[in-house]
Amino acid sequence: MQQVIAAQSATDGAEPQTDERVVPGQPDMWVFVLFEGLTFGAYFVVYMLYRMGNPELFLRSQARLNPEFGVANTLVLLTSSWFMARCVRSARRADYRAALVNVSLTVVCGLLFVGSKIFEWSMKIHQGLVFSTNEFFWFYYFLTAIHVLHVLIGFVVLGVVMYQLAGPARRSQEIVETGATYWHMVDFLWVIIFALIYVMR
Amino acid sequence: MNSSGLSVSGMEARPSNLFARIAWHWRNDPKMELWIIWYSMVVFYFIFGIVFVGMTHVMPPPQPWWDPPRVVQWFNDHHRGILVGFGICFFIAGLVASCNAIIAYSMRRMSVSRVFAYSYLALYSLSAVPGMLLTAIALTVGAMRPDRDPALICWLYDFGFMAFDGTMGIFLIGTLVWMIAILIDKNGVFPKWFGYLNICNLITEFVIATAWILTRGAFSWNGLIAFWIDTAVFAIYTGVFITLLRNMVIREDFGTGPLPKLGASSGGGG
Repeated sequence: MQQVIAAQSATDGAEPQTDERVVPGQPDMWVFVLFEGLTFGAYFVVYMLYRMGNPELFLRSQARLNPEFGVANTLVLLTSSWFMARCVRSARRADYRAALVNVSLTVVCGLLFVGSKIFEWSMKIHQGLVFSTNEFFWFYYFLTAIHVLHVLIGFVVLGVVMYQLAGPARRSQEIVETGATYWHMVDFLWVIIFALIYVMR
Repeated sequence: MNSSGLSVSGMEARPSNLFARIAWHWRNDPKMELWIIWYSMVVFYFIFGIVFVGMTHVMPPPQPWWDPPRVVQWFNDHHRGILVGFGICFFIAGLVASCNAIIAYSMRRMSVSRVFAYSYLALYSLSAVPGMLLTAIALTVGAMRPDRDPALICWLYDFGFMAFDGTMGIFLIGTLVWMIAILIDKNGVFPKWFGYLNICNLITEFVIATAWILTRGAFSWNGLIAFWIDTAVFAIYTGVFITLLRNMVIREDFGTGPLPKLGASSGGGG
């Protein structure tokens, strides 16, 4: 089944000679992942530079965060990625009902993540810790917000995956895997942000 | 001059001399208008770069936290560059139409609804206003009377730079329209990775919003993140789409189905 779909998508408009797929999903999405990795890498370098410039302020400000939020966020997103991986596996077995259930659970985890982030931000704002408070909070709000923006875009991506899985005529394993690639990237970026903002001492 | 790869039978042979070749293309190449528009776009970005980087020193931007005397000094240092540079800028502003036209053309060549091209044209017809004209007007006004009250000069300085850096709504939605068109297009006018790359450009429009809040550091209008990383992403994105639009013109077969692959030259013109 998978080979049939892969062959179909290859004849759909991709390179004619691609019988063998090198990566899951469209290679195009991996170009995006690479580019986003570079952009976020640059953000992280700037964060480290500022941190090295004033390590004491960063440590003091970091202590005002609630690490349990960071840990809970990480667990929720890792769980969402696990559901997404299960969705891909179910779709490969042509078990589209299970795939739909799993991608829906991915969305639920994503919503939980966004909800808890909004709750955490509003808590910090009530404590008087806002974006302009100090250099640490610039990066705290910026990195978490730009990441949430990626999660929101991820909901659109997962919506496309659900739409694909829902209609028998539309189903494309390639699209499902492309969506999964995006979602795993979002998860991966969060793990780094969590390590840099909440954990690193 | 770029050869389109079209071999139009019954036409005179293509001469080797450069000027004669341009004349040949002018008479025989069905893609002449497309090439004129593509080259106009390149010329526009080239002059735009020279004016904003080399002449007016708007890019990279000066410090946002300067006090009024220092801002006045900045205007004095770049007085002639600002007046001449932005003079050129006003003169070539019309060339923006070439970028918008060829991008809208790319969407009309796709399998998608016409509303994409129309929305893009309508949105981007405004792009020159926040993209360069407001800045050019504000800074030219600032440079016009060096003896003006420094507080007013400062106001024009803030206005000029925030109009340039901080007004991104048009570009955000325009990029989104183009992205959706590319991703749902079945004619393969652009590779899908370029569709995804649009997301990166779109996100820079959010990042720059931080410059409204902070006037120093990485998130100010000349900061490492809000300016340098954003500009790097934008420059790569622009370089990529100029190249891909060139490929589109080479591949154009004036049909309605899938666009031929690069290298697979098709016969027959429009």
